[in-house]
Amino acid sequence: MNMQLFVNGIVNAALIAPPAIAFSLLFGVMRFPNFAIGGYITAGAFAAYAFNVQLGLPLLASAVAAMALTGFIVWLSDIIVFKPMRGHGPVTLLVVSIALTLILEHIIRIIYSAEVRGFDIPLQRPVKFAGIRITYEQMDIIALALAVAVATHLLLRFTNIGKAMRATADNPVLAEVRGINTGLVIGFTWLFCGALFGLTGVLAGLDLVIEPLLGWNLTIPIFAAAILGGIGSPYGAMLGAVMVGMAEELTVLVLPSSYKVGVGFMIIAVLLLARPHGLLGQPEIRK
Amino acid sequence: MSRNITRRTVLKSGAATFAAATMAPAILRAADDINVGSLTPNTGGGGPFGPKITASHKRVVELVNSQGGVLGRQINLTQENSETNPESAVRAADKLINVNGVIGILGTWSSSVTLGIMPKCQEAGVIQMCTSSSADIPVRDEKGLVFNFQALSPVWGRAIASLALRRGFNTFNLMALNNDFTRSMMDGFVEIVGADKVMIDPFYYNGNQSSYRSEVSQLIESNPDAVFIPSYVTDFTAVYKEIFRQGYEGQVITVSISTGSKFKEAVGEAANGIIHGLPVPPISSEAYRQYVEEAELEQMDGVQHPFGTAGRDQMSTLLLAVEKAGTTDTAQVAKAMWDVTTGEGKKTVYNITDGLAAIRAGEEINYSGASSSVEFDAEGMVLGRDFQLAEIKGGADVVIERLEY
Repeated sequence: MNMQLFVNGIVNAALIAPPAIAFSLLFGVMRFPNFAIGGYITAGAFAAYAFNVQLGLPLLASAVAAMALTGFIVWLSDIIVFKPMRGHGPVTLLVVSIALTLILEHIIRIIYSAEVRGFDIPLQRPVKFAGIRITYEQMDIIALALAVAVATHLLLRFTNIGKAMRATADNPVLAEVRGINTGLVIGFTWLFCGALFGLTGVLAGLDLVIEPLLGWNLTIPIFAAAILGGIGSPYGAMLGAVMVGMAEELTVLVLPSSYKVGVGFMIIAVLLLARPHGLLGQPEIRK
Repeated sequence: MSRNITRRTVLKSGAATFAAATMAPAILRAADDINVGSLTPNTGGGGPFGPKITASHKRVVELVNSQGGVLGRQINLTQENSETNPESAVRAADKLINVNGVIGILGTWSSSVTLGIMPKCQEAGVIQMCTSSSADIPVRDEKGLVFNFQALSPVWGRAIASLALRRGFNTFNLMALNNDFTRSMMDGFVEIVGADKVMIDPFYYNGNQSSYRSEVSQLIESNPDAVFIPSYVTDFTAVYKEIFRQGYEGQVITVSISTGSKFKEAVGEAANGIIHGLPVPPISSEAYRQYVEEAELEQMDGVQHPFGTAGRDQMSTLLLAVEKAGTTDTAQVAKAMWDVTTGEGKKTVYNITDGLAAIRAGEEINYSGASSSVEFDAEGMVLGRDFQLAEIKGGADVVIERLEY
C-alpha cells in the first residue's frame, strides 16, 4: 500500500510539475501570480477534446494542436487583458486573472455545457510488479513531465531566448538597456507557458475528467507547488510539485481523505513560516 | 379653461400610465389566477433532468387551463431555473414568492436546493414539492408544507444493498462523495449488508479533487467482492477511471445518476460491468403508460423517466389538493394533499382530468402517479418507489433486478 501511495504521489507530481514550472516562469517575467491558469488548462483540455473527438484526430496530434492553440489563447490573453494593465500592481493583476479564469470557464460552459467528457481512447488496465500498479499512460505522464523539466532547464540555461528570459525576469529595465527585446521575450514566455498549460489540460483530461472545472481543481496544488519551490524559480517548482504530490497522497495514512484538499494549504503555510521565499526561491531585494 | 402642461405633469401622467399598463395585469392576475412556481435544475448537475420536470409541469397546467382551471380559476405557471445551485435557487425562490405570489414551488431536485429555499418558503407559507433525497428534508419542514416525491437516501442505500446481496456478494468496501445525500445512503447500505461484511470503515472524499488515487488505493486494497460508491457523475467518472486503472476486478456498484450516457461516452467500453441502482417509476402502471403517451416518449427497458414522471405527479396532486380544499390557503391545501393521494377505500385516479371530475362529483380519490403510487407518510415523504438495479452491458443499461412496492 505504501509503495503504491508513493507511485500515486509521483504521478500526481508529474501532472502538476509542468504547469507549476509555467506558473513560476510567468511570475518571474510578469511579476504577478496569474490565477488564470485554471482557465488556460481547461481551455487546453477542451481544445484537445475538440481535435480528438469532434475532428477525429489521433490523441498525439490533438495534444500538439491543443498546445499550439492554448499557447495562442494564453498569448492573446496577455495582448487583450494584461498588456493594457502593465502599470498596475500585482494585486490588481491577480484579481484580473481570477476574473479571466472565470470568463474562460464560462465561455467553455456555454459552448460545451457542464457535461463530463473523455478522449477517444480506451482506458488502460495497469501493469503490476512488486505489488505496484501503474498504467503505460501514467508512465507517459511521468516521462513527459521529466522531458518538460529538462527542456525548460536547457532552454533557460543554453539558448539565447532562455538567457533573455532570465535577464528580463531579473531586471527588465536593465535587460532593455542592454538591447534585449523584452516585448519579444514576454510574448515568447506567454506562448511557451501557454503550451505547457495546454499540455497539462491534455494530461489532466486523460487522468481525471474533461469538464469546465478541470483546471480550477488543479489550481491550488499548482500554486502550492510553485510557492513551495520558491515562486519565480522553475527548478523549485519541480521540487515543489514532487512534495505537494507526495504530501497529498501520503496524507491518507494519517488523516481521513476528506481533509486531503487542505493539505496543500497547510504545506504552504508551514513552509512559508520557515522559509518565506520558498525552497529554492531568492529573497527579493527591495530598494 | 386653460391648463398648463408642465414637464412635471407630463412625467407624472407618463409614470401613472406606465404603472397602470404594467401593474394592472399583474394585479388582475393575482386576483383571478392561481400562481404556481416551477423551479427546476435546467442547467448544472441536474441539467439532464430539469427540462423534463418543467415540461411535465407545463403539460398539466395547460391541460387544466384548457378544461376551465381549478376552482374556476386559471393556473398561472412561472418557470425559473435553479441551475442546480442553492444560491441561484434562493434568488429565484425570492422572486417567485415576492413578485409572483406563488402558492407552491415545485420541481426542486438537488437536496441542497430544496433545503436552501426551505426557510423562505416556510416563512411565506409556500408549499414545496421536490425530488430530493436528504434525510434532513422532513426534519427541517416545521410547518408540514413539503412533499417529497423521491425516496430518501437511506432507502436508496437499503434497496441497493438488498439487491447486491441477492447477487451473492459477500464482502464490501464503501466510499462516497462527501455530502448529505450520500452519507445517509451509506448508512442504509451498511444496515442491510451488515457491518461485519464491510472490510474497512466507509470513508468520504471531496468533489473537485486534483486526484482520487489514494482514495481508490485505500478502497480496493483489501480486494472486496464489491465496492459501493454513492456519488455524482463528475466525481464518479474520475473515480471510476482510477478504479479501472488500478486494476480492480471486483464489482463496482453506484447510483444510476452517476452512470448516464455522458459517463458511458467518457469512459467507453470500460463502463461495461458496472451495476447501478435508482428509484424508478412503476412501468407497468396505468399512470406511467399515460405519461409516456402525453410526453410522446418511447418506452425503453433500461432508461426510464424518474423525474419527468415526478413533475407530472407534483403538479397534478397540488391542483387536485387545491380543488379538494376549495381554497388556495396553503395550510389547508397541504392538508388536502393527503386526502387526494393517500389512504385506502377511495377511487383510484391516474390523471388530473379524472381526479378533478371525481372530486367535483363528491367522490374521495387516491391519485396513483406515474413516478410512484404517491402515498405520503405523516411527514410528506413518499412512502415507496420501485427500485431498479441495472448493469451496463455493451454500453447500454440492462435491467437485472427490480424491487416493487
